[in-house]
Amino acid sequence: MKIIVLLKRVPDTEAKILINSKGSGINEEGVKFIINTYDEYAIEEGLKLKETVGGDSTVTVVCMGVEESTEIIRTALAMGVDKGIHICDAALEKATPAVIATVLAKAIEDNGFDIIFCGKQGIDYDMAQTQAFLAEKLDIPQVNVIAEFKISEDNKKVFLLRRIEGADEKVEADLPVIISCAKGLNEPRYASLPGIMKAKKKEIKKLTLADLDSSGASEEKKSTIINWLPLPKSGECKIIEGEEPGEKAVELARLLREEAKVL
Amino acid sequence: MTTEGIIILIALSAVLFAFVFIVYRLVKALRMGKSEDRFNNFGQRVKSILVYVVGQARVLSQPAGIGHFFIFWGFIFISLGTGEHILNMLIPSFSYEAFFGTGVAVTISFCQDILAFLVLGAIVVSLFRRFFLKPVRLESDDPKAGREAVFILGLIFVLILLMYGIKGIGIIQGKVDGSSAPVSNIAANLLRNNLIRINVVESVFVWVHHSLIFFFLLYIPFSKHIHILGAIPNIFFRNLGLPGTLTSMDFEDETADKFGISVLTDFSWKQLLDLYACTECGRCQAVCPAYLTDKPLSPYRMIHNLRGHFMDEMGSLLSDNDKEYTEKPIVPEVVSKDELWACTTCGACVQECPTFIEHVQKIVDLRRYFVLTEASFPPEVQPVFKNMEINYNPWSFGYADRANWAADLDIPLASDKKSFDILFWIGCAGSFDDRGKVIAKSVVKLLERAGVDFAILGTEEKCCGETARRMGNEYLAQTLIELNIEVLKGYEFNRILTICPHGFNSFRVDYPQAGYSKPVVHHSEFLLELVKAGKLPSGSTGNLKGVYHDACYLGRYNDIISEPRELVSGIDGVDLIELDRHGKRSFCCGAGGGRMWMEETIGEKINETRVNEILEKNVDQIFTACPFCMTMFEDGLKACGNENVKVKDIAELLLEASKESEKGKG
Repeated sequence: MKIIVLLKRVPDTEAKILINSKGSGINEEGVKFIINTYDEYAIEEGLKLKETVGGDSTVTVVCMGVEESTEIIRTALAMGVDKGIHICDAALEKATPAVIATVLAKAIEDNGFDIIFCGKQGIDYDMAQTQAFLAEKLDIPQVNVIAEFKISEDNKKVFLLRRIEGADEKVEADLPVIISCAKGLNEPRYASLPGIMKAKKKEIKKLTLADLDSSGASEEKKSTIINWLPLPKSGECKIIEGEEPGEKAVELARLLREEAKVL
Repeated sequence: MTTEGIIILIALSAVLFAFVFIVYRLVKALRMGKSEDRFNNFGQRVKSILVYVVGQARVLSQPAGIGHFFIFWGFIFISLGTGEHILNMLIPSFSYEAFFGTGVAVTISFCQDILAFLVLGAIVVSLFRRFFLKPVRLESDDPKAGREAVFILGLIFVLILLMYGIKGIGIIQGKVDGSSAPVSNIAANLLRNNLIRINVVESVFVWVHHSLIFFFLLYIPFSKHIHILGAIPNIFFRNLGLPGTLTSMDFEDETADKFGISVLTDFSWKQLLDLYACTECGRCQAVCPAYLTDKPLSPYRMIHNLRGHFMDEMGSLLSDNDKEYTEKPIVPEVVSKDELWACTTCGACVQECPTFIEHVQKIVDLRRYFVLTEASFPPEVQPVFKNMEINYNPWSFGYADRANWAADLDIPLASDKKSFDILFWIGCAGSFDDRGKVIAKSVVKLLERAGVDFAILGTEEKCCGETARRMGNEYLAQTLIELNIEVLKGYEFNRILTICPHGFNSFRVDYPQAGYSKPVVHHSEFLLELVKAGKLPSGSTGNLKGVYHDACYLGRYNDIISEPRELVSGIDGVDLIELDRHGKRSFCCGAGGGRMWMEETIGEKINETRVNEILEKNVDQIFTACPFCMTMFEDGLKACGNENVKVKDIAELLLEASKESEKGKG
């Protein structure tokens, strides 16, 4: 079985995000980049599926991103993924989900696939669109934000559980299918040291748009990001000191009238 | 040769042959372990033998050890007597008197007589302890262990009575000089009028005695008395380095598919020798914070079970045919996972062990296997490792925020200053923990006041790696250590100052292994230095009764015991009292060995146990010199519902006291 996991390089959850002076992106100085947190659940589910199915199943991560994305691909390989495909092309710098999906679809089709796992969204831009575009491009079903995953005996069908407001939803789908994952689905494993050592020797296939015969893909954009704007500074919090509630109320009223000018 | 001589010759040859064969196998089994260099510093090793074997220094560090002292020396002199007797049976002309002169013979006989009597006394006391006092030390869930001890004590008791019987009869017969054997003289008087056929009785005594000795010799290697064979070499080959040292791992070999220890043959020969050396005295268990709070770990039991496993596997280990060694996994077959993760690496067990067994290294080695090879550990540990990897601190704070605590303080940065006297290493707790930050800031104020030329690394500083290392994540630890060394090498300074005993210990033992040795000073030493030099006032407080708690990695591991006390008791108004468990024998707060980041779900909480011990002393404040001890105690006090007692770092105390005294002046 050919298992594909999509991977995205995103700023660390603890990083301080500041918009750059041009408003064209974030200031990357002092920012650490990590595997998109939701993608870790996708990797884990892919690896678990490989263990279940056995045989000559392979897990391949496909990542579209800057040169440095190699680091996160290596991390996935250290966790036990067999192979990496890294699509890296300067023309994709500003790619939006539709474009990304077009390129990913080509790479995935070239590689061959039976099932695709991905995170439910990138924790950077929170668009959650790529998997939908990708499902359309590949013309396969998609099931999002699953809580449980099971595969049929004959490996042709998946049984999924989704937690929705006030109920559980059971879903069945035929392979091939694209499934998005989130916290609660599994506990992503920690890379073992032999895993890290082996990952150094595993193959990462580097592809450009030309390699994928997709030079025109970047023109397929459905939307364009024009600008990023910093949030307006939030007002400062003021705590009113005082012995008695009445005394504090008077001060509050004064502040609302004189400083906030809302009364 | 007499018939007697021939029989004894045959018996002795057979027993010695069997004994040598057994010992040969024991030694050969050690060679199944990995290599480890313990042959350096020969002089120091010989000295260890003199102090700890001949002098029994560690044995005598507890009152019960006096009994062992007598049994040990009694055993040696009694053996000399037995040797003489057997040789005499083989060569009738042999006696110590004939060979070494009367003086030597009389001395041996006298010492033997007195010591053997003291041994009898020691055995009575030992049995009384076992059956009536039942100290924590002797608790064991293996009923065999206790039975064995009683059996051997009983055996020695009988042997000594027989020896007195034989000597007594010798005095009656005029073969032995009674004047140099007062106890045997009493035996002679008791026997003189009560024995008919004295020669028959004598040979019964002799043959029973010698048979028991032969039996004993062959029984030793299969009982806890194997320590008679293992202890002396184990003391000789002991760790001569600093006590907090762990072995370093080599990750050069990229084809390796296993790291750490999972089966017997992964241990080094010295680690296996440790198993022969255990006397089952249980001193380790009686000081173990995990054991004393009802966790499954007991260092004694771990060693006992490992030896049992080693003995069980010895046949297959040494066989070269089909009965091959099956590589039974130590965890969970011999040591449970809960035992493995219960250790705080406080080192109390290693310090107490009279035969220098290294328990902590074994636990870390077993952890290494699970962390590095299996990537298996308590689930709450994974985010800790990941945080250390990504943001260089155990908590989920961004690494770029590491110097936020210092934002408004105008503290000189190493990257600006380049060259300075003191590099103030803040550590993760000082950088991110709210209470830790107060310690860091207090030290900064004191340094500024004393006019110290110092700098901090700011965001260039990363987790020191100490905790990752003791949790078994050697790879992560080495990565962090290397990153830090790279930064540190870029600056010129004389000493590193830490506020955390863990970082302090790491700079003393871990960093030199990675090729970086720099003098490191803990703030308890450094602040005292400043006070003594008149650069800081001792200050004064209102009347304050407090205790100082020794952090394991400061007191026990690094012998910094008097400095913090001197600093605190120099403050006017502080009444410093001592806990029962203090100094090198302090009781862990529960945070070491990465326990800080693990759930404590089994038994009593270690921090609450220590807090309760402190509260019994009715103090106003607890003084600490470790940010992790501080966290553990603050949590412990909350859990105990006590909000009156405050925990203060010694730096906070000193800063407050100096302010207080200035106010007084104003």
